[in-house]
Amino acid sequence: MVKEWFHKFSQSSRAQLFFIITYVLVTCLGLYLLEDSASAIFPFLLVLLSLLILYYMKINVKLKWAIGFIIIAVMIPLSASQGSNFQAFMDVGTLVLIYVAMSLGLNIVVGFAGLLDLGFIAFFAVGAYTYGIFGSKQANHFMPFGHYPLPGDTFWIFIFVGAIIAAIFGILLGIPVLRVRGDYLAIVTLGFGEIIRIVFNNMDHPINITNGSMGISQIQPPRIFGYPIDTPSEFYYVALFIFILVIYVVKHLENSKLGRSWKAVRDNEIAAQAMGIPLVKTKLAAFAIGASFSGMMGTVFAAKQMFVDATSFTYLESTMILVMVILGGMGSVPGVILGAAVVIILNNQVLTDLSNWMTSLSTAGILNVPDALSPSKMQRFIFGILLVVFALYRTQGLIPHKNKKVDAERLKREAAAEPPYGNSEAKTNLEGSDS
Amino acid sequence: MLQHIIQLLPQVLVDGITLGFVYAVVAIGYTMVYGILELINFAHGDIFMTGAFIGSGFLFLFISLGLMSSLPALLVFLIVIILSAMITGGMGVAIERVAYRPLRKRNAPKLIALITSIGISFILEDLVRFIAEWKTGNYIVTAPSLFNHTFTIDIHSIMPFFNNAKFQSSFIVVLVVTIIMLIGLDLFVNKTKWGMAMRAVAQDRETASLMTINVNRVISVTFFVGSALGGATGVLFMLQYGTIDPYIGFILGIKAFTAAVLGGIGNIRGAMFGGLMLGLIEMFAAANLSTLTGGLFGSEYKDVFAFIILILVLIFKPEGLFGKATIEKV
Amino acid sequence: MNVLEVKNLTKQFGGLTATNDITMTVEKNSITAVIGPNGAGKTTFFNMITAVYKPTSGDILLNGHSLVGLKPHEVSKFGITRTFQNIRLFNEQTVIDNVLIGMHQHLKAHWVGTLLRLPSIRLEEEKAKVQAYKILKYVGLEDYVNENAGNLAYGAQRRLEIARAIAARPKVLLLDEPAAGMNPKETKKLTDLIHDMRTRLDVTIVLIEHDMKLVMEISDYIYVLDHGELIAQGKPDEIRNNQRVIEAYLGKVAAEND
Repeated sequence: MVKEWFHKFSQSSRAQLFFIITYVLVTCLGLYLLEDSASAIFPFLLVLLSLLILYYMKINVKLKWAIGFIIIAVMIPLSASQGSNFQAFMDVGTLVLIYVAMSLGLNIVVGFAGLLDLGFIAFFAVGAYTYGIFGSKQANHFMPFGHYPLPGDTFWIFIFVGAIIAAIFGILLGIPVLRVRGDYLAIVTLGFGEIIRIVFNNMDHPINITNGSMGISQIQPPRIFGYPIDTPSEFYYVALFIFILVIYVVKHLENSKLGRSWKAVRDNEIAAQAMGIPLVKTKLAAFAIGASFSGMMGTVFAAKQMFVDATSFTYLESTMILVMVILGGMGSVPGVILGAAVVIILNNQVLTDLSNWMTSLSTAGILNVPDALSPSKMQRFIFGILLVVFALYRTQGLIPHKNKKVDAERLKREAAAEPPYGNSEAKTNLEGSDS
Repeated sequence: MLQHIIQLLPQVLVDGITLGFVYAVVAIGYTMVYGILELINFAHGDIFMTGAFIGSGFLFLFISLGLMSSLPALLVFLIVIILSAMITGGMGVAIERVAYRPLRKRNAPKLIALITSIGISFILEDLVRFIAEWKTGNYIVTAPSLFNHTFTIDIHSIMPFFNNAKFQSSFIVVLVVTIIMLIGLDLFVNKTKWGMAMRAVAQDRETASLMTINVNRVISVTFFVGSALGGATGVLFMLQYGTIDPYIGFILGIKAFTAAVLGGIGNIRGAMFGGLMLGLIEMFAAANLSTLTGGLFGSEYKDVFAFIILILVLIFKPEGLFGKATIEKV
Repeated sequence: MNVLEVKNLTKQFGGLTATNDITMTVEKNSITAVIGPNGAGKTTFFNMITAVYKPTSGDILLNGHSLVGLKPHEVSKFGITRTFQNIRLFNEQTVIDNVLIGMHQHLKAHWVGTLLRLPSIRLEEEKAKVQAYKILKYVGLEDYVNENAGNLAYGAQRRLEIARAIAARPKVLLLDEPAAGMNPKETKKLTDLIHDMRTRLDVTIVLIEHDMKLVMEISDYIYVLDHGELIAQGKPDEIRNNQRVIEAYLGKVAAEND
C-alpha cells in the first residue's frame, strides 16, 4: 500500500515538485520562527536536508538546479536573517561552500585521477597568502614598487590570481612528483604540504614575505562598487559565486575528453598510455585544476578572516578534506558535496554544540565528563573512524559515483543512418568534425 | 666558518647517531611491511608513539608502586621495554587483522589501504591523547628519567680543534639496545624459518602460498616484529628525549619512511643505513645550517631537509641506495 | 612493402636475457603471428614495440621511422596500438567510454574549449559517440554500451579490448593472445573478426597466440621464439614441418605433462 503510493509519487513530477516546495517553505518558516532559540540548528539542518531530497527527486534536471539555487541563494539567507544567530549560520554556510569547492578540487585529484594527495591544504594556503600579502601592508616589506594594501576592489582579480598561482604551485609540485611510483605520491605530497607550511611560517627572514609565525593581519575587506564586504552573510555570496563556478567546471570536465583521460589513468595507467594518453600531462592537469579551486577559496578565506598564519594549514586540514571526499564517495560530485557539508557542519556546529551541552551538564553536576573527552577535541578520532569505516565497509561513499549513460537508442538510430563501420568512413568521419 | 663546523662535529656525531638509530629501527617497520604488502603503513609512526606512552605509563606505575627504589634501573628498563614491545607488537597484529586483511581479501585498490592506514593513525593519536590528558591533565607528558648521568667526552684535550661532546647515560642505552635489535632482526630474517618465509612472501606471495607457507600468518608475524621494534624504539625515545606528545609519531614516521626509501624500500639493511644517514644529516643541518647560509636559514628548516631528500631520492634513484630496480609486469 | 621492421632487438633484465637479437619484418596489411612456448619472450617483444620497455639494443622502425626512445603514448600516436594478455580495460567506466578513450588522440577537444562549450567540440563529441557505437556494433557489443567494462564476461572483455584498440585507428594492431580463455565458438568468431579487420580497416595485424589452429588458419607469416631467440620463420606450412619448432613445443608439452 505504502509502496504503491510511493511508486506513484516517484512517477509524478508534479507531486514531487509540490512536496519539495512545501517542505522548503515549512522548514524555512521553522527556521524563521525559531531563529533566536538555541534549537535553531534543527530547522537549519532540515532546510539543508531539502537539497539532498531534491537530489533524489525524479524531475527535470534544469528545474532541479534552479530550485537548488533558489534554496541556497534566497531561502536560506532570507529565513535565517531575522535573528541573532544570522551571522553565525551564514558563517557556517560560507565555510561549507569553501570546503565543498576544495573537496571538489581534491576529488578531481583523488577521485577522478586516482592520485592520493595528502598535502592539498597547501594550495589553499597559497591562495590565502597571495591575497593576504597584497591585501595588507605586508607587501610593503619586499615589493620595490607600489603602495600596499591594495584597495579591496582588487580582491575580485585576486580570486583568479590566487587560482593561477595555486595552479602553478600544483604544476611545480607535480613535475617532479608525478614521475614517482603511485603509492609514494601520498607521502611526497604530505611532505610538500609540510614544507609549504614550514616555509610560510619562517619567511620573515631574510626577507619578510609572510611575516613568519606572527601571521598577516589587517587584510583589506573586498569592496564592490565602493561597498565593503565584511560580514559573513556577504561573504556567503562571494563563496557562492565561486562555488557555482567550480561546479560548472567540474560538471563540464567530468565527461569530457580530459575527464575520461583522468579516469583512464586511474583505472589502468599502462592501458591509458597505450591509447595515446600522456601520463604526466594528464596528471598535471588534475593537480593544477584541483589546486586552482583551493587557491580561489584561499583568497576568500583570507579576506573573510582578515588574518592568515600557517596554523590554519596543517596536515589535519588536508586530511579533513580527504575525509570529505571519502565520506561522500570518491569520484561522485553530489557525494563529495554532501560529504563536505556533513563534515563541516559536524565539525563547526554539532561538535561545538555537543561540547557546550556536556560542559553545561558537568557544571550542573549531572554528568561528569572529563574535559579530555570533549567532543570538540575528538576531531582526529572522528575523522579516523570515518576513514576506516568507509574504506572498509562502504568504499563507494554515501552517494556512490554513477557513470553517465549515453542514449543508446539515439546512437543506434544515428548509426543506422550512416554506413557501417569500416575503413572508408573511419578515416573521414571524425576528421570531418572540425569542418 | 669551517673551523666552527669542525668544532661542533663531535657533538653532531653523538646526537646524529642517537637520532639515526631511532630512525633506523622505525624505518625497518615501514620497510618490512612495504616489502610484503606494498603498503605504506601510515600507522607505524603512531605505533612508535604509542610505545613511548605505554613505556612512560609503566614507569609511572612502577614509581607509584614504589618499585623504583628497590629495583636496579637497568632491570626496570628491561621489564618496561619488553612489556611495551609485546603490547605494541600485539597492536600491530590487531591492526593488520581489522584494517588491512579484509581489504586484501577483496583485492581492494592500494589507495583504499593507504586511506585506512591514515585513519588508523588518527585513531591512535587521539586515543593516546585522550588517555594521557585524562590521566595527567595534559597530553604533553614528561617521562620519568632513568638514565640521566651526564658524561663528557674530553676530545678537546687530545684534538684541540674539536669541542667536547656531552651525552647522557641514556645515549649508551639507546645505542646498545638498538644495535641488539638490529642484529637480532638481521639474524631473524636471514637465519630462521619465519625469516625465510617472510622473504619468500615478500618476493612472490602466490608462489610462497603454493609452497605451503601460511601467508596470513607470515604477515601477522611481520606486523608483530615491526610494531614491537617500533614500540621499543618509542620507549628508547622517551628515555632519551624526556618529553613526548601524541603527535611525535607523525613527523618521525615520515622521516623514518624517508630513511627506508633512502636505503631502498623492502631492504632491511638499507633501512638501517638510511636511518643512520638521515639522523646524521639532520643533526648536521640543525647545527650548521645557520652558519652555512650566513644566518639566512636557521635550524627551523631541518624538517624541510628530510622531505627534500625524500623527493630527490624518489626522483633520481627511486630504488634507493641499496635497492634493485623493479619492473612492473605487463 | 614493410610497415614494421625490427632489427637485432635485445632486452636484458639484469643478467637475464628476455629477447636476444631478434630481427623481423612485417608486410603491410598482412597478418603475422609470433608464437613460442611460455616464457619465450613474446610479450616482452610487444612491450618493446609499444615502448613499455626500452630495448637494451636494436631498433624498431615503423614506416622507416625509429620508435626507440619514444614514450608509450607517442608510439600510439605513430599508429601502433595493442591489446593485453592479462586484460587491461578501464573497468570502472562504461563500455562506450572505453572506446571513446581509444579515440583520445583523434579528438581535438581542449579543456578550455570544453568549458566554453564551443559548438565544434560538442559536435565532435556527438560524432565520436556515434562512431564508438558503430565500432561496438562491429565487434558485437552494441547491447552493452552503458555497462561497466569490468562487469562484462571474459570473452566480451577481450572483444572490447579489440574495439578500444581499433578506435585509435592504428596502422599496426598488436594482439596479445586474443583467444586466450575463449571457447571454440568464440575463437571462431574471433578468427572471422581478425580476417575482416584486415580488409575492412586496412590494418596490419601482429598477434601472439597459443591456439595453433587459429594461428595456422589466419597467419600469412609466422615467427617462432624460444628462450628469447628467433628459432624459425616462414609460411604456416613451413613452420608446421619445422624440426626445431616441433622440438621446442614437444619439450614444452612433455614438461607440462610431468
